[in-house]
Amino acid sequence: MHEASIVESLLDLVVQNTPGSARVRRVDVRVGLLTGVSPDSLQLYFEFLREGTVCDGAEMAVTLQPLLAHCENCGTDHTLREVDWVCPACGQGALTFRNGDELHLESIEVDNGEGIHAGAADSQAQQ
Amino acid sequence: MAKVFTLEQRILKRNSEVAEENRRGFDAQGVFVVSLASSPGSGKTSLLEKSLALLREELSVGVVEGDVQTDRDARRIEALGVPVVQVVTNGTCHLDAQMVQGALAHLETGRMELLFIENVGNLVCPAAYDLGEHLRIVLSSTTEGEDKPLKYPAMFRRSQAMVLNKIDLLPYVPFDLAEARTMALRVNPSLEIFETSCTTGAGIPEFCQWIVQKLSETSAA
Repeated sequence: MHEASIVESLLDLVVQNTPGSARVRRVDVRVGLLTGVSPDSLQLYFEFLREGTVCDGAEMAVTLQPLLAHCENCGTDHTLREVDWVCPACGQGALTFRNGDELHLESIEVDNGEGIHAGAADSQAQQ
Repeated sequence: MAKVFTLEQRILKRNSEVAEENRRGFDAQGVFVVSLASSPGSGKTSLLEKSLALLREELSVGVVEGDVQTDRDARRIEALGVPVVQVVTNGTCHLDAQMVQGALAHLETGRMELLFIENVGNLVCPAAYDLGEHLRIVLSSTTEGEDKPLKYPAMFRRSQAMVLNKIDLLPYVPFDLAEARTMALRVNPSLEIFETSCTTGAGIPEFCQWIVQKLSETSAA
């Protein structure tokens, strides 16, 4: 349900990083599996809240970041596509995770962009 | 012509910035801040009532109450004579750092040593929002089932302690304490676990002692 607030923060961030006259075509978002954030719910609120903003008509792609897990019991490493607390190799519940809390705006694709605002000076533009 | 800007920014960056401002403010004033989160009805306000009765003997305390509607919880705290401010979120399912910052304007924190923030009853949404607190506590209760940590891992992973409340009901509910501990520690191996009853008062002194210990560790640092 907090996806509505997350999309509001996302739209603020996109507006801050979009050159004045430009329109946003596409927004890429990356979500970690341990955040509890629902990609479907993000989509729903994005479609609703983008109206009247620079994102009006833009699409959003949400990527779920795979989980990098390490088993403290048998020492193996695993890449998980869904959350599991039990090691796939030894069956013990001794997994620790190297990530999973990501909630990132990866990139935006804009039309007629002539530059980027100061807040994103470290960003790279690609043709 | 289309251009792609690689941004790699945290979506909740603004909330984190305000949370850091809050934390710096708390540190400057010497206030230790503890937040409580749980499903609705696990006993956050009851735990506060019982704990404040003990803690206020030693410390100057205050409370920020978060609810979707009504000031009923704030009135319960007020009845104890503890300074309290109610944040009514009007539908929003969590507190955020800005709401806490707004609430602080209505609370005299100058001489306060310990401040509790009771979040909106919800095990999902509050997990994503840093409020600037020093300690996060999650409650679960014996009427909810043992598997809450596995179902709502974000909240349990980001908390330093879990309070298992309503242990006085253990004879009447099919709740396995050992299983609940195992599941919680699977999600967060460093979680401190307290077993309490706000009806009998069991476990409340141990919980309060731990809060005081954490507070003194922080002020010594």
